[in-house]
Amino acid sequence: MANNIAAQRIQREFKEVIKSDEVAKCAIRVELVNDNYTELKGEIAGPPDTPYEGGNFVLEIKVPETYPFNPPKVRFITKIWHPNISSVTGAICLDILRDQWAAAMTLRTVLLSLQALMAAAEPDDPQDAVVAKQYKDDQEMFRLTAKHWTAKYAGGPGGNPDFEMKIRRLTDMGVEEDQARVALSSYNWDLERATEQLFS
Amino acid sequence: MGFDVTRFEGEVDEELVCPICSGVLEDPLQAPTCEHAFCRACIIEWISRQPTCPIDRQTITSAQLRPVPRILRNLLSRLCIVCDNASYGCSAMIKLDSLATHLAECEHNPKRPVPCEQGCGLIIPMDELKDHNCVREMRSVIHTQQQKMADFQKELAECRFTITELKREVHLVKEFMRAMRVSNPAMRSLADEMERDEVIQWSNSLTRARVTRWGGMISTPDDLLQAMIKRSLRDSGCPLNIVDDLMENCHERSWPPGLNSLETRQNNRRQYENYVCKRIPGKQAVVVLACENPHINEDMMAEPGLVMIFAHGVE
Ligand SMILES: [Zn+2]
Ligand SMILES: [Zn+2]
Ligand SMILES: [Zn+2]
Repeated sequence: MANNIAAQRIQREFKEVIKSDEVAKCAIRVELVNDNYTELKGEIAGPPDTPYEGGNFVLEIKVPETYPFNPPKVRFITKIWHPNISSVTGAICLDILRDQWAAAMTLRTVLLSLQALMAAAEPDDPQDAVVAKQYKDDQEMFRLTAKHWTAKYAGGPGGNPDFEMKIRRLTDMGVEEDQARVALSSYNWDLERATEQLFS
Repeated sequence: MGFDVTRFEGEVDEELVCPICSGVLEDPLQAPTCEHAFCRACIIEWISRQPTCPIDRQTITSAQLRPVPRILRNLLSRLCIVCDNASYGCSAMIKLDSLATHLAECEHNPKRPVPCEQGCGLIIPMDELKDHNCVREMRSVIHTQQQKMADFQKELAECRFTITELKREVHLVKEFMRAMRVSNPAMRSLADEMERDEVIQWSNSLTRARVTRWGGMISTPDDLLQAMIKRSLRDSGCPLNIVDDLMENCHERSWPPGLNSLETRQNNRRQYENYVCKRIPGKQAVVVLACENPHINEDMMAEPGLVMIFAHGVE
């Protein structure tokens, strides 16, 4: 493995992230998942002045054998409500992880780009069409929903008793909690329509 | 791919590190306008996927890549690196520009070719020496040789077969031409030419002979002797259409005026040395072909040539 560009690069980038200023400010983190540098765990702090503030988002980072000639494969493990990230799979729509990747980019630049994406969504190039629609039609509803998801899945602050109550109504009917949350989020927390969709 | 930075003495300047492989630049090239430098192998690989600078995404092609400035190359060549074989016990610390030379002769190189001293003498990589077994190696050598020999034999058999086929075809063509020449003048001249070529090819296959004693010439060979010489001529590949004519010219009764009596032979003996003679294989006899002796006087030559049989004195 020593004579492999991917491993050499990741070792170096791993150190780069560890001693970076961002780590000092607790904004990003990486951890090794295995010994041969093919998989890592990343963490991003939700950026300030966003619905993600105070949350901690975990990422799965898979390094292909052809790295850095191809980008790393990154997805959110922590559930997140964001137009460019799938609320179901955590898949990310970001140009630098696809055709705009450049070999000189590093784990650090990828993590910082993701943090920037969280602060400034691009609803016109969505990964999750439902979220993107809500983002464009009803900014406040989007903000509340995203904040609720952050509190629920990423350890963010502040509950939302109204949302919690609606979810409980659905779970009482035998719906699974995550499923109930997705349905309600998708229908702007309209209990009736969410119920209709779940039982149709 | 560049050299691992941990192999260098002290800190390596970021300028000397390839942004693609994160190793110290190996055989570097730079992009045309932004002048970003990369290892040759790294940037070629990247451009084959995407024709942009990996740092700023400016469009570049591999044809636009340039050598890096001398100053950068000098900085690189002065860096000190540990030998590739450090883990095998080499403690050498080498300037980057002499690394290749050192590696070629580094005695810690586990793959260094060394001769086996247990008897077989084969040249083998040093790290294979401990598991080396002369008998086993030789067996495998023999095996491959046998394989090769079998291949050659097969090839030889195929060649022989082809030659036989070709011979048969040539024979048929000749027969055909002989039949045609009677009626067709063009064919006649072609056939004549072919016959001349045959004679030349045959004579080229014979070795040049030197007659040391012209006095040993037998001017009136008997029938038995003639039959023996004729057989040798045939066996040597003499074109069949001239065998009889040649044999006819082995007796003084058919020889040209300059040779046909003891007296004329005596007078012309000085010219014998000028003959181009070819040995009739295995015999004390030579053939003197007209086509090879255009310089000889007409009264000393006959068509298609002369056969001279000796008691002794042919080398
Ligand atoms: Zn490189
Ligand atoms: Zn550049
Ligand atoms: Zn060495």
